[in-house]
Amino acid sequence: MNCFRNSSATALLASSAVCCAVLFAPNAWAQSSKITILSSGKNKNVAQRKIDLQAEAKLLHIYQLIGKGQNRLALAESELLLKAQPNFQLAQLVHGDLLSSFVRPVNSQGDLPKSMPIASSATSTNSATSAALNELREESLQRLKALRERPPANTVPSQFLALSERNKHAIAVDASRSRLYLFENTSNGAKLIADYYISVGRLGVEKSTEGDQRTPLGVYYITGTLSPTSLVDFYGVGALPINYPNPLDLKRGKTGSGIWLHGTPSEQFSRAPKASDGCVVLANPDLNHILTSVRSRTTPVVIADRLNWVSKTTLDADKAKFNATLTAWRQAKVQSDTAKLMAFYTPDFSNYGKNLTQWSTILTSELNKLKGRDIALTNINMMRWSDQNDTMVVTFDEVIVGKQTGVTKRQYWIRDGKNWKIFFEGII
Amino acid sequence: MPSIRSFTPHTLLRLLPVTFALSAALFTASVHANDVDEVNQLLKAGKQAQALTKVEQSLTTKPRDPQLRFLKGVIQTEMGKPQDAIGTFTKLTEEYPELPEPYNNLAVLHASGGQFDKARAALEMAIRTNPSYSTAHENLGDIYANLASQAYSKALQLGGSSSTLQPKLTLIRELFTPGSKGVNPSAAKPVATAPASPTVVAPVPPIATAPAVKPAAPVATAPATTTPASALPAAVVASDKDIEQAVQAWAKAWSSKDMNAYLGSYAKNFDTPKNQARKTWEDERRDRIMGKSRISVKVSDLVTKTNGNTAVVKFRQSYDADALSTSSRKTLELNKVGDRWLIAKETTGG
Repeated sequence: MNCFRNSSATALLASSAVCCAVLFAPNAWAQSSKITILSSGKNKNVAQRKIDLQAEAKLLHIYQLIGKGQNRLALAESELLLKAQPNFQLAQLVHGDLLSSFVRPVNSQGDLPKSMPIASSATSTNSATSAALNELREESLQRLKALRERPPANTVPSQFLALSERNKHAIAVDASRSRLYLFENTSNGAKLIADYYISVGRLGVEKSTEGDQRTPLGVYYITGTLSPTSLVDFYGVGALPINYPNPLDLKRGKTGSGIWLHGTPSEQFSRAPKASDGCVVLANPDLNHILTSVRSRTTPVVIADRLNWVSKTTLDADKAKFNATLTAWRQAKVQSDTAKLMAFYTPDFSNYGKNLTQWSTILTSELNKLKGRDIALTNINMMRWSDQNDTMVVTFDEVIVGKQTGVTKRQYWIRDGKNWKIFFEGII
Repeated sequence: MPSIRSFTPHTLLRLLPVTFALSAALFTASVHANDVDEVNQLLKAGKQAQALTKVEQSLTTKPRDPQLRFLKGVIQTEMGKPQDAIGTFTKLTEEYPELPEPYNNLAVLHASGGQFDKARAALEMAIRTNPSYSTAHENLGDIYANLASQAYSKALQLGGSSSTLQPKLTLIRELFTPGSKGVNPSAAKPVATAPASPTVVAPVPPIATAPAVKPAAPVATAPATTTPASALPAAVVASDKDIEQAVQAWAKAWSSKDMNAYLGSYAKNFDTPKNQARKTWEDERRDRIMGKSRISVKVSDLVTKTNGNTAVVKFRQSYDADALSTSSRKTLELNKVGDRWLIAKETTGG
């Protein structure tokens, strides 16, 4: 269990120092003033999104005013922001710097007065304060980085090979940028509609074992919704569990559970970039937007250390290639060619604990029932995950031609040279 | 929320006693000056209740008198009736918005009640009213520093008031600084030559590790001088040089927190503010100066008028310390004692 907690939040909040001091690029400031806020699109949710984006957008506006030396205006803005979000700690830090700038030089972000010594002595309180300060600086840097380095137009994460009509939305997390990107699935494919600052595991990413305080990397799906009434305040406005460990994780012997996307405790607007036990943590207004727009079980969540943004046309070629493989699998099934069909499965295949031999029996009885009728694969969702292996997660409806409905299946494919093989298949 | 601080008002500013000339210019009745003096005497003697009775008695004949009402506010403050005092000063700011002192004292009261935002707003009004009002600047500096500490504490979730310092704000005990001398309160105008706000330091962009940023240079807008030095006899000019050196030495001693040299710049007969005992004044200065970790005092635009063994030097003082960065007008009266020029009187503003 990584996210589920029944104890009070305070222990976790007194987080250990994992973020080291960051040296900021000297020209970062000049660049930041050129940031344009992500356009929210032109649909009915624009107003809501504007509200969601407000806190960060306002912070950015304050930074821009500071960049222009308009501290008086910036101070007025930070007051307004803090009135709306008094627990936005980073905004408090900026506010402190702005106030200080009227009485003394401010030499760095979070330039605490001498009356608040943090680095001079080695007491535990001071090192905790020092760590907290570094975390806020890191948060500031991450927010700016994500806003400065925007995904190129008309690109999507390379994992998004094909979204199905059932995927109204898709989510991609870039841990290196502390950012979650929310996509809407339009007739033109995945369209970025919002992105939010997020926190990941205290010790970073690539979860492998229970309690390692890391966030898993891979292709996941939201499995449900947990309402805030069933949760302690620590999780904020709700939680969306994802299916970690997925079949690829299990194949690799990964352990752990309870990885969620969740909100922040009421006393914190946002948390440090690396703060969770492995969950992805969003500010409550941001999570609220996701809670009200995404559907469980159909929304893919890609968590990558660094997202690779590619043009949709690039993906179309890969998609066509893999479609051919999928068609070959379907044809083997329609032809009731057991030997040909079984060749698609890896020796270490598993179906919810059943091995290849058991699976062979199941498939044979399935083919007998099918009696050579044609099947159609519809609502295909293809997500590619490439690390030391090239894998594909395919979700589709398998419908016997002439029938109205079929079953929803998910397959995990792994590439071996030129051949793709299935190492997991199951009804979801 | 910090606890309410018991008032130990300092008077940093050089305040003129309410002279006959001043009150005559302000108000026609000389009786008024006597009333004010009497109240001041009672206050000084610690007889607050009697001072209050006297003030209220005087107010029955002159209910709108700002000076008396101001004194009433000071008495209420000292008697530990902050709400009453806030009421008195608030009314004064409404009726005499051009007077900075009531705003300043309102700020002191708000700050002692932990309401730093209100204190800040009041001080900003005081400074808008009189931009060279250095007490308000100094107080505002303390408020900013305090609000900043609060914000930092919230940012770092330090909790409680552990790191929140109670600002040491200065309560003004008498109305009308020398800057408004002889000016009818209703006609008082802000000093136009002074900067409109504390020197704003452009902060380093929060995400950059840039070199230390120096405060911006104070706006140097020296008023036209009336006595060009070149018109003076050579002997006097030579004497001016000594005087100027004395002033520079005083500023240097202040900057380097050399208390012996600093206090030594003042004559034995130095006219202490509020007729404080010399010792009291020295202690107060020591507290104020030694309490700073860094002070820089620079003087510029000196204009010296000499008359035998006395001299009046007017200049712009750029003061930059931990909690304050400001530029204001200052006047020093110096007496020649032996071969040294010593400060006999120090006034701010004007």
